[in-house]
Amino acid sequence: MNAVVSEALDIRHVRKRYLQHGTTLDVLDDVSLSVRPGEFISVLGASGCGKSTLLRLIAGLDTDYSGDILVAGEPVRDTSLQRGIVFQDHRLFPWLTASQNILAALRNAPLSAKQKRDAVAEHIALVGLKGFENAYPNQLSGGMAQRVAIARGLVNRPRVLLLDEPFGALDALTRGRLQNELQRIWQQERITMILVTHDVDEAIYLGDRVVTMAPRPGRIKRIVDVALPRPRDRGDARFIRLRDEIVAEFGEPGTSPRDSGGNLPHTAPAHPPITEWRLAW
Amino acid sequence: MRFLSTLRLPRGLNRSAHQGPPPCDCVSPPPRQQRRLAKTFVASRGLLLPVVALALWSIVAALHLVKSGLLVSPLAVLQTGWQQTVSGALLRALSASLAREASGFVIGTVGGLLLGSLLGFSRIARRMVGPSFDTFKQISLFAWIPLISVWFGLGDAAKVVFLSLAALLPVTAHTCDGIHAVPRSYIEVARAFRYSRLQLVAHVILPAALPSIFTGLYLALIYSWLATLGAEYLLVSGSGIGNLLIDGSEQFRMDLVLFGIIVVGLTGWALNALARRAERALFARRPFGAS
Amino acid sequence: MSDTAISLAATASGNSCARRIARAWLRSAAWHVAPWLLPTLLLALWTIGSERGWIAPQILPPPARVYDTLVELARSGDLASHTLISVQRVLVGFGIGTLCGFALGAGLGLSRTLEAYVLPSFNAVVQIPVLGWLPFLLLLVGVGEPLKYILIAHAALVPVTLSTLQGFRQAPATLDEVARGYGYSRWQRIVHVVLPAAVPTLATGVRLAFTKAWLALVVVELVASSEGLGYLIVNGRQLFQLDLVMAAVVVVGAIGFVVNHLLDSLEARLRRGRPSAFRE
Repeated sequence: MNAVVSEALDIRHVRKRYLQHGTTLDVLDDVSLSVRPGEFISVLGASGCGKSTLLRLIAGLDTDYSGDILVAGEPVRDTSLQRGIVFQDHRLFPWLTASQNILAALRNAPLSAKQKRDAVAEHIALVGLKGFENAYPNQLSGGMAQRVAIARGLVNRPRVLLLDEPFGALDALTRGRLQNELQRIWQQERITMILVTHDVDEAIYLGDRVVTMAPRPGRIKRIVDVALPRPRDRGDARFIRLRDEIVAEFGEPGTSPRDSGGNLPHTAPAHPPITEWRLAW
Repeated sequence: MRFLSTLRLPRGLNRSAHQGPPPCDCVSPPPRQQRRLAKTFVASRGLLLPVVALALWSIVAALHLVKSGLLVSPLAVLQTGWQQTVSGALLRALSASLAREASGFVIGTVGGLLLGSLLGFSRIARRMVGPSFDTFKQISLFAWIPLISVWFGLGDAAKVVFLSLAALLPVTAHTCDGIHAVPRSYIEVARAFRYSRLQLVAHVILPAALPSIFTGLYLALIYSWLATLGAEYLLVSGSGIGNLLIDGSEQFRMDLVLFGIIVVGLTGWALNALARRAERALFARRPFGAS
Repeated sequence: MSDTAISLAATASGNSCARRIARAWLRSAAWHVAPWLLPTLLLALWTIGSERGWIAPQILPPPARVYDTLVELARSGDLASHTLISVQRVLVGFGIGTLCGFALGAGLGLSRTLEAYVLPSFNAVVQIPVLGWLPFLLLLVGVGEPLKYILIAHAALVPVTLSTLQGFRQAPATLDEVARGYGYSRWQRIVHVVLPAAVPTLATGVRLAFTKAWLALVVVELVASSEGLGYLIVNGRQLFQLDLVMAAVVVVGAIGFVVNHLLDSLEARLRRGRPSAFRE
């Protein structure tokens, strides 16, 4: 397999606001981030913090913002085959089979027909769906459909892959399995990936760095380095400590309010099972 | 309400609960035969009503129980039918009607696809033309026939114009709806793949809108068939199945009328079956609907 | 892009705001006016064409004349009487057809036995369109009120039966099981689970039935009637009084339009709060 060129991503002072009934709504307020080539970034936040909006801006689906977004030094003006995107709802075309859906992504790629067919076969194997090439989306389970969507996002060998809560609609078991898949693919392909999620566990498990965002206005709160070796162990003490740290940042509903000094609550909450950890927003 | 079970067991088995198990196995038929019997029994029940009705009709006609020149026996209807078929009159009438319907259907469909596409793609067009079109659609179509007959005469031209109109309305409405309702999410996917406008239309919008468009075509087929009949009643010059019926009615020939009705029913059924076959061929594998 | 964009975003007040509001108002005004442009244009063309003699009055009378005829019809009471006759026919036929349709559909839906015996024949009879029965009924009952009632009733009966049947059949098994779990008798289940679940489908069927009934009315009045709106159309046509024809067409369209809207809102209200799983 040819090595993929991954690129650096520069987000500088990006601001997006909506004008509604005379008041301005700041969806994103002075967001800046530098992503190294081949890095895996998890963007973590509750609903309404603008993380999906940020992803759409990077993808080029939305161009109404101020600030700069640069991929490999070039400003993002529109969508590009160099920036693949995987949505939360798989958005596979129901009238095409799995392979045809992946092929559809290659329609404008500068490849010969044979090269396209090979790329499709390669990526079907990559996501572990050999044998399901001719299945229609309504014949696939949610997890399988999402795998096709990931293959579709990768088939153009983009420099950056953007994933917008890709596993949010799946059950916990499938989610865990696909997280492992994604990690495996990333380690194999080493392209820059940006994953948006509201699952703390997922963010730490997959990312080199975790970017936490806060809402109203949408801004980056903190960027945490996850310096743990892969494959990561969710039971590892460092993993748990990191998770507690990040979760404490967001506060937890139902816990005692901050004391008068403005300090975060000290009481450590009981640990629910790993697979069920969620920001309960 | 008591509901009879689907399969009536033979009496012997019903009493077995009180008398113990049957003395030998020969009382109950082997399972596979039982199932086949059950199937034919179920299917044949639908025939009971028509057979009984036909029998009653024949008896009443044979015994002249009703004193009326209108009472014809089923045999007479069949004889008339045979006569019509053999003399070629049926074929002429049917082919004339179907030819007119085909032309009206084609013209109306083509026009409907064009107009529907325009309305589907352009929000401005939809806002400007849509409400008027909707209003026009709700006026009973047949009310326009007298006016059409003034403008286009009483012959084939007027009929085809009317048929085209009958086909145009559903095709336009469903094409517009189909195109308009393509989910945003698909269009974003196409944008992510850098599809040109042409590629977007051909490879995303059209396949997504196809079920709705097909419904429009299906309705157009049905409506233009109904319109054919109506037009032939009201614009009496020319030949066709509707003319056959109306003539039969004017000549007090019930046998002709009944035969014509059977032909009309069969033709309608054939058109329906054709459309159903086409639908299955097009949409066999994917769920009917864009998402 | 960045500097100017930031400066633009920073100034949230001032001229740009007023201009934006004005533009929004214009856009909203245009939105409301847009649907009227086409009819106004057509009306204008029609009027001018008649005045200039491009359109012969026998082909298409000027709109003013149509309006005058309409007013005269209304004043003389003819409009009222003809409309009343038509509406009464539709109501009677529609009523009979709908009631019979409910009964038949319910029977077919609730009793598999009845369905097995009757449905195939019903499906075969349905293949014959309402118009196809017209000559047969003409012979049987002649030209008169029964013809209209029977035809319109038949037009209404078919969709109501089919949708009632479908409504009863599609009662979700899940809810039925819940009711059984609470020990509902068969009758209770029908009344409290199956029937309410079937209401949206029934509403659609009734809506369709009215459209078909109205269509049937127009046709039968065009072909074989000496009173009613359809008769006005045919009569006007024969006397070459196209203004009369158009006036009658306008009234027919108006009534159809109004009733359709009423039934639309009724159907919408009946569907309100229902999950889309109940939609056919």
